[in-house]
Amino acid sequence: MKCPIETRDSAEVLLAYCTRKLDAERTATLERHMEICPACREFASGQRAVWEALDAWEAAPVRLDFDRRLYRRIDREVSWWQLLVRPLRPTLVRQGLPIAAAACLVVVAGLLLERPASAPPAAEPQSAQVEAVQPDQVEHALDAMHMLGEFSYRVRGDAADSKM
Amino acid sequence: MPERVKTDMGGATAALDYDAELMLRVKEGDGASFGLLLEKHRSPVVHFLYRMVQNHAVAEELAQEVFLRVYRSRSSYEPTARFTTWLFRIATHLALNSLRDGKNERLQERLDRDSAEMPARQVADSRPSVEQKMVYQARLEEVRQAVAALPEKQRAAVLMHKYEEMEYSQIARVLRCSESAVKSLLFRAYETLRARLAHMA
Repeated sequence: MKCPIETRDSAEVLLAYCTRKLDAERTATLERHMEICPACREFASGQRAVWEALDAWEAAPVRLDFDRRLYRRIDREVSWWQLLVRPLRPTLVRQGLPIAAAACLVVVAGLLLERPASAPPAAEPQSAQVEAVQPDQVEHALDAMHMLGEFSYRVRGDAADSKM
Repeated sequence: MPERVKTDMGGATAALDYDAELMLRVKEGDGASFGLLLEKHRSPVVHFLYRMVQNHAVAEELAQEVFLRVYRSRSSYEPTARFTTWLFRIATHLALNSLRDGKNERLQERLDRDSAEMPARQVADSRPSVEQKMVYQARLEEVRQAVAALPEKQRAAVLMHKYEEMEYSQIARVLRCSESAVKSLLFRAYETLRARLAHMA
């Protein structure tokens, strides 16, 4: 047998021997080797001493209120989250969607009203463009404003219902 | 209860340890399974942390944080490794951070204060003499100092190897290094400990 001390990889054999994790066959081989190898004998006795010394180091028992303290921290964390979300939840459910829809309409209306200014100049004379395009846009904008008015009326109605 | 079970996950059959099974139940909202995990791993985690930071109050505080993190991560938990690998990875990470935060500043103070905190060990004689107690305390102090003097990663590796009886491969996964690096860490750590503690034989 090659001396385990010589290579660090093989030294795990000695560690395993000292912790009684080595199988019977390898234990017997190592013990035969140790009879003629003082370095391995010294390693093994030193390692056994370390093992016993570490065995003597007992950790104090865990305090009895450990779980109670942990669960209190968990509860506190959960309740903080609930406290944050609770006041927002009914508002989000009842008014969030109408508000979002109203905001979308405002954006669309704004885009429609802004289009002539941002649109590139056409090849035809500007006076013709004004006659042909502007009435349509005004009509769209009026439709959008009408829808917006109707929507905000409903939103107000919902809010009044929820208060009741 | 079986320690390891076969579970089908998305068509691929994977071996899961029982703890990972419990954690998957926690993920599904089963609080009782979290209680079982806590019951099983509370002491090993606290003891590991205690031996790492050598202060009982700090160790319990860190252990609370470990289990809190486990609970917080329940929704994103995936059993890619053994549960204990994940658990001790969190514990080691917190311990190393704690040591780095207050490195060397309070260590001696902790060692001194904790000597008084430690429970008296039961020796063969039910009423140990004052001399026996003093000898035991002196030896214990020597062990604690020797372990505390190890570099942090070596210390973590020794504690997992000695007290948690982890395989090299698992220690490697906890410390995120290769198995050969773990063997090297352990070899050097035990070499240092032998030099300091061999006279206790």
